[in-house]
Formats: sequence, structure tokens, C-alpha cells
Amino acid sequence: MSDAIISGRRSRQLGGTVLLAPATLVVLIMLAAPLALLVRYSFNRFSPTDLMIAAVTPENYVRFFTDPFYLEVMRTTIGVALLSTVLCLILGLPIGWRLSRMRPPWRGIFIFAMIMPLFVSSTVRALGWMILFARGGVLDLGSSYFFQRHFEMQFSSTGVVIGIVSANLPYMVLMAQSVFAGIDDRLSEAARGLGAAPVRAFWRVIWPLAIPGIAIATIMCLILGMNAYATPILLGGPRFQMMAPLVYWEFGTNNNWPFASALAFVLMATTLLLAVVAHTLVPRRYRA
Amino acid sequence: MEDIGKRSRGRGLPSRRTVLAGSAALAMPAIWTSGARAQSSTLVVSTWGGNFGRLLTENVDVPFMKPLGIEVVQDIGGEEARVAKIQAQRMLPQGNIDVACVTGGVAQRLADLGALEPLNAATVPNLAHALPNLLTPTAAPQFYSPQVLIYSSERVKEPPTSFADLLEPAYKNKVGLTDGNFPFNMMAAALYASGNITDVAGAKEAMIRLNKNGLKLYPSVDATAPPFKSGEIDAGIMFLARVISWQDSGIPVKAAFPKEGAALYVSSLVVPKNAPNKQAALKYINAMLEPSAQQGFAAKLGYIPATDNAGLSGTLAQQLALPVPAPKLVVPDYAAMAAGSADLADWWKKTIQRS
Repeated sequence: MSDAIISGRRSRQLGGTVLLAPATLVVLIMLAAPLALLVRYSFNRFSPTDLMIAAVTPENYVRFFTDPFYLEVMRTTIGVALLSTVLCLILGLPIGWRLSRMRPPWRGIFIFAMIMPLFVSSTVRALGWMILFARGGVLDLGSSYFFQRHFEMQFSSTGVVIGIVSANLPYMVLMAQSVFAGIDDRLSEAARGLGAAPVRAFWRVIWPLAIPGIAIATIMCLILGMNAYATPILLGGPRFQMMAPLVYWEFGTNNNWPFASALAFVLMATTLLLAVVAHTLVPRRYRA
Repeated sequence: MEDIGKRSRGRGLPSRRTVLAGSAALAMPAIWTSGARAQSSTLVVSTWGGNFGRLLTENVDVPFMKPLGIEVVQDIGGEEARVAKIQAQRMLPQGNIDVACVTGGVAQRLADLGALEPLNAATVPNLAHALPNLLTPTAAPQFYSPQVLIYSSERVKEPPTSFADLLEPAYKNKVGLTDGNFPFNMMAAALYASGNITDVAGAKEAMIRLNKNGLKLYPSVDATAPPFKSGEIDAGIMFLARVISWQDSGIPVKAAFPKEGAALYVSSLVVPKNAPNKQAALKYINAMLEPSAQQGFAAKLGYIPATDNAGLSGTLAQQLALPVPAPKLVVPDYAAMAAGSADLADWWKKTIQRS
């Protein structure tokens, strides 16, 4: 009898694997194949006439790691991504917590309000910030009227960070809200019943339970910040350089596919490394 | 056999007859499409979108190609993507682009690769009217526009007459350029430095000085217009066509021809050697050079016709008329441009953008 049960279970597992296979295959092909191509291209040689010459040379990577210009762009990218992620955490967690403790229908209304910006593409949102930040924009007009001084934040690193935070904050808030909402209120009540002050109950009971979810939200914001494209271009301007626009410059303006591939791969590897580091910073017992 | 057939159907597997019928049904759209294509030919034009693409449709596709039964499909995208496609496909017996809209320098790059079909008045009769200094063996000039000094007509009392004026303290933090136009910005600097449009060393030195004078860079041509309106910048370098279109939009700007000479922006049409519908491509280029098509682009975009029989009149003719005495107009040295484009882009990025 037990053999029959085991056999039936194995058969179901096999069926599940077979059903999953096509989707897995598609994901593998759509993700792994371009990545493999990217790696291969990054070892090719650039030629202005032939685009690429098949080769196996590390020169594109050497160029990146030996040129202070590219290293500086990478440092700027990491700095902006880290700063925007920290700001998302500082701003997003209290909002997420408050939302999770709201009662219907307000909770739904506010969550919908948080989702609303996601209906608009990041490019359009960045254009909105441009109207606000630019010379002659809303803030400049206000500043000129009240303080007789121009206010310009377009084409500045501050503008880029604000733009990225505004784009990533809804993700942080929604994930934090969902994490906090999944934690039973009675745990906090029990802690308080045992004499813990509300703040202590939060840090000792709620926060450890929320850490795995918050860590994932943080890593997601970090990845989005590292790969930001439209915001740095529109709000940073030509003088502010981050990695994703640089990849496009090499690909689109110079048609240098091998170097653009190497840049893309370095960006991806750095992002992955940062995500792993962020994950390891979470104590093992709290990891998801 | 019958049993086997029954068993197959019982297991849900299709019979041979079903498979054949299914295959025929699947092939039907392909058969039908191929018949339809035989009746009306399709032409793929790789071009910029927006107003440019719309004007091509209004001035060429509908009035000239449709009556010939040629359906024009626009492949819209940036110029470098277009170049990459032609470069990547050039070894194939057949590509997928029939006509490509490219700038003069890019046309030269593609010609150097041997990727373009020769064009002449025998195959494109209207090329007989193309301005000879803009015509090349493989590119038909579509229109052109001189690169001029642009300035605010409200705030600048003495119009600039040379690139040298932009280096003066009076223009500190008040000069703005479009970042993407850097090859042409460098040509303006080269003409100022030595009168030689290929003087890269002189251009670099002049551009560094301009940068130190508080040069502002804007990511696109369209992003360069609002700063003139808001007072952020007072002068810059721009194509005359854009100055005219901004004037039409109510932005208070004027154009001045630099005394050292104005580089010409030339937009061209080319046919890749492996174009699938070469005959229709030649007809398309001929249609683009018709006076009505030339007038259409001049009226809406402010570009100067590249033919001698476009016959502009009225306000448009006045707006596009060159000043008297005639300014020095310089056709870029495309071969030099092509040879140094990657190095120049790298230098611009690291030296001008970064500092």
C-alpha cells in the first residue's frame, strides 16, 4: 500500500516536472542565450567597418578596469544606487507599516494611490520631474517670486537621486506593507502583554519577522537603482554619467558592441555582487 | 490498419490525413500572402519617426508610391541602429531595408564598406536636379541645413558673428549646445580654429575653452529650445532648420552665419546593395526629389531643398534664403569624419561631458 502511495507521489512529481519543463526551457533560452551571447561579444574586437571581429581577447575588460573614467562612472552608479536605496528604506518602511495597520477601505485607497505612479512609465515620470526642476519650471518660478533667486535642480546628482527614489519608492512601500501585513498583530500584543513597550515590541518581535521581506525589497531597489537609465539621462543630463546610459552610448553612438557588452556584463556582475553582499548582511537566522 | 487508426484516434493522436489537412491549413496564410505580395510590392524605408516619418508618408508615400501600387513600410529607429543593421546584413544576399535615411557622414561610412548601391540620373532621373556639391555616387541628398550661431533675440543686443564670440566673458555660462550634435559642434570649432573643417586638434582646443567658459550641454536638440526661452542660455550652435522651427513655435531666437564658415548638415537617402526591392527603392528616391516633396519638408521642418527646381516662394523662401553676401558654406569631409568618429566620441565623452 505504501509503495503504491510513493509510486503515485513520484508519478505526480514527474508530471509536475514535465509541465514545468516548457516554461523553464523558454526562460532558459530567453535569459541564458542572450547572456551567453553578451559574454561572447564582450571578448570580440571592435572594428569601425566590420562592427565586430571574432576574437577571444580580454581587451574590453582591461579597458574598463584600467581607465579611471569608467571606474568613476561605476563608483557614481553604486553611490547613487546605495543612496537611493537607503532613502527608499527610510521613507518606505514607515509608510508600509502604517498602510499595513490601516483598516479598509482606507488601506485599499492608499495602496491604490501608491500603485498609481507605476501606471506611468519612468520616462514620463522623469519628464514630470524635469518640468518641476528646470529653469523656468514650477520650483524655479516659486523661488524667483518669493526669494528672487533661481532654483535649478535639473542636470544634478540630487535630481537624479530624487527621480530614482520616486520611481523605486512604490516598490519598497508595497513590499513592506505586504510583509508587515503578514505578521500577526497578536504577536505584538503578546509582547506588550508581557511588559514590552511598543517600540521594544516592534524591534524585538515584528522587525526580525519582517527582515527577510525587507531584505528582498532592499535588494530590488538596489538593482533598479544600479540599472536606472531614463532618469539619469533626463534628470542628470549629458554630464552626469551612470553605467546604463554609458552602455547605450557605446552601443548606440559608437556602435562598439564588444565594449558595450563588456560594460553590460560588468554592470550585471557588480549588481549581482552587491545583491549577494546585501543578502549576507542579513543575519543567517533571519534570511528567507 | 483500421484498428491502428482507431487506436491512434482513441489516444488523441492525429491521423496522417489530419496532419496533412492541418499542414495545408497552416500554409494557407503564407500562400495567400505570397499572392498578395505579387500584386502590390512592399518597400521598407528605414527612417526616423515623429515629424520626419510623418512627412515622408504625406509627401512621398501617399502621393507618389501608392499610385504605383507600392506599399511603404517604415522601419522607425535611431540612425546608429539603422547603420548597424545595414552593416550586419551587408554580407547576406538579401537584407531587409530598401531605402535608408541617413546623414551625410553615415552615408559615407556605409559607402566605404561597399554596402550601398550606386545612384545616378539614369536610374533616378531627378538626381539631375540635385545640388552637385551635395551629391555623392551612392547617396542622394534629401535636403540640407547650414549650422549657424543661434542667439536670443530678446537678450543679445549684438549678435555673435563667430565661434570666437562664444568664448568671450559676456557669454560665460550662457552658451548651450546639444550633446548629440558633438561632431557638428566640433566642426564649428575647427572652422574657427583654422578654417579647416578637419582640424581636430584645433577644434579640441577651442571646445575646451568653450567648456571652461561655462558651456551647458543638453541631451537632445529639442531639450535645447526651452533654455533659450527661460533665459538659461543666450547663444549656441544649431542647424538653421531648427532655428526656423523654433521661431515658428514662438521661441525668441535668431540665426547668424559664422564668418569662419558654416558646416552643412545633409540628410541623404541610400539604397543598400542587398535591398530586396531595389527598383521600388529607386522610384522612392526619385519621388523624394520631386519639387512637391522637397517643398513639403522645407515648409514643415525648415530644411533647404537639395534640388535646384524645388521652387520655394513667399515667406518660406524668405526664411530659407541665404544672406547677402553669401556666407561660406562648408560640406563636411565625410571620409575624415568616418575615420575619426570613434576617437572623437571617446574624447567628447571624457573631456567635454566630464569636466
